[in-house]
Order: sequence, then structure tokens, then C-alpha cells
Amino acid sequence: MNCKLCSALFQEFLDNSLSEELIVEVQNHVRACSKCRVSLRTYTVTVTLSRKVDPPCCVSRETLDRLRKIIRENFSKSRGAVV
Amino acid sequence: MSKKREKQTDSDLVREVKQGDPAAMEEIVKRYSNKVYNLAYHLTRDAHAAEEIMQDVFLTVIAKIGTLTTEAYFSTWLYRVTTNAAYGYLRKEKKFSEQTPVEDIDQEQFLEYDWTNLPDDVLLSEESKEVLRRSIDSLPEAMRTVVVLKDVEGLKNEEIAETLGISVPAVKSRLHRGRLILRQLLSEYFSKYTEPSKEEE
Repeated sequence: MNCKLCSALFQEFLDNSLSEELIVEVQNHVRACSKCRVSLRTYTVTVTLSRKVDPPCCVSRETLDRLRKIIRENFSKSRGAVV
Repeated sequence: MSKKREKQTDSDLVREVKQGDPAAMEEIVKRYSNKVYNLAYHLTRDAHAAEEIMQDVFLTVIAKIGTLTTEAYFSTWLYRVTTNAAYGYLRKEKKFSEQTPVEDIDQEQFLEYDWTNLPDDVLLSEESKEVLRRSIDSLPEAMRTVVVLKDVEGLKNEEIAETLGISVPAVKSRLHRGRLILRQLLSEYFSKYTEPSKEEE
């Protein structure tokens, strides 16, 4: 395996969607190649940081209540029903 | 009643909404409000806009759910409506930041910098987070959407392909290139803390 192919497989490697054989090939290559080892580490941490930069949050109770009220009113109107 | 609703599939709920059941619509709002809000927020970086977009998205669901022919694809349809609404907002408000020219990305330049061992208080400092936010926002739209859907929202490649109406290989290609750009921008930023790797080939 060369560096270009190794780098192209990082995504599938992180998704755990490579075959056993390719996983071993990637592992062997990064063990032997310091550039790809650093490249895989920085690629992996980039993905991790993207997940951590703004973790998902919950809509406030007040906003959700307001939304539900609007949805109820509009749903009834759109179906021509009496609220 | 509530327990029964929680166990229903999206397809069941969509069918009941189409038949005019308000309780099914309530369950959809309960199930998806946080996801719609978070996606809108991560694309616009504006909490107030994200609330407005969330409201518009669910009103669109009421108005357009009859046009949804394949009920199983409800969630990806909802993400598509949300994504379109978020970009519509950004265009209206002229809030698109300068996009990173893809051809200028030099993947070799910073590869020797291993910044991954920096302490968490550096990697996750407010300044680092802001650099990463700006970097994500500066990606070309097609790439940025895929990065946000995958790495921030945690969707699967197949769901992203369905949401955006593109192939799975196209999702993978955009995601990989987007991550490489983010990695380069982070490497540039973190290089002030690190020396080139001393590891030998």
C-alpha cells in the first residue's frame, strides 16, 4: 500500500467499513510510515473536534411549547377543522 | 397513548398526519424538534434564526406532507427541508462567509505537524473552537453541508445521500475533501504550539 491509497482509505477506516484485509494493510502502513501515522492521527482528531465544537442541545421548554401551539393552530386550519 | 405513539415508526406517523391526526403531528414535533433545531443552528450559527427555521420547517411539513410519496424517507426529507431553509436564511441575510478556495489547499505542507497530543485545554479552548467553527463555515456549501450532516449531526452516509439527492460516493468524496481542508486549517492554527514531528520513517 502506498501513502496516497492509505490516505484515501482514512474515511472508511474511521467508519469501520473496510474489509479485515484492508484494515490490516492500513495499520501496517501507518506503523511503517510516520507521515501517514501523523496524517491519520490529525484526520481522526479533526473529526473528533468537529463533533465536540458545538455539541447538540435541546430546544427550551418555552420554545417547544410555543412551537406546539403554532403547529396545533396551523394543523387545524390546514385540515379545516375546528380547534 | 403516549407510549403507543413513541413505538410508532415514522412511516406510521406520516400516514396518520396525512389522514389529519393532530396527535401524530405532535409526536413528529416531539421526535424531531431538537434535530431540526440543531441542524439549523449548526448551519446558521444563530440561535434565534434556528428557532425561526424550526418553526418554518414544521409548518412546511404540515403544508407539504401530502407530496411525500415515500413515507419511509420522512427524516431525510425533513433534513432536506431544514438544510434548504437554513441556506435560504443565510442567502437572505447575506451571511455567507468567504469560502475556502479548494484548489489552494496544500495537503503536504502541514502533514509533519502532529498536534494531536496537545492538551485538551488547547485542543478544546474557546479560541480553537472558534477557529474550527470559522473553518467549517468557510467550506464551499456542498462540502460544508456534508461535513455538518456527518461529523456534527452524526448522520450515516446513506442518509446524507438521500437528504441531498446525491450518490454515496459523492458524499464520501465531499466529506473527505472537507475534512482534509479542516485538518489543514487546524494544522495551521495548532502549528504555533508544536514542532515538526521528530518521528523517523
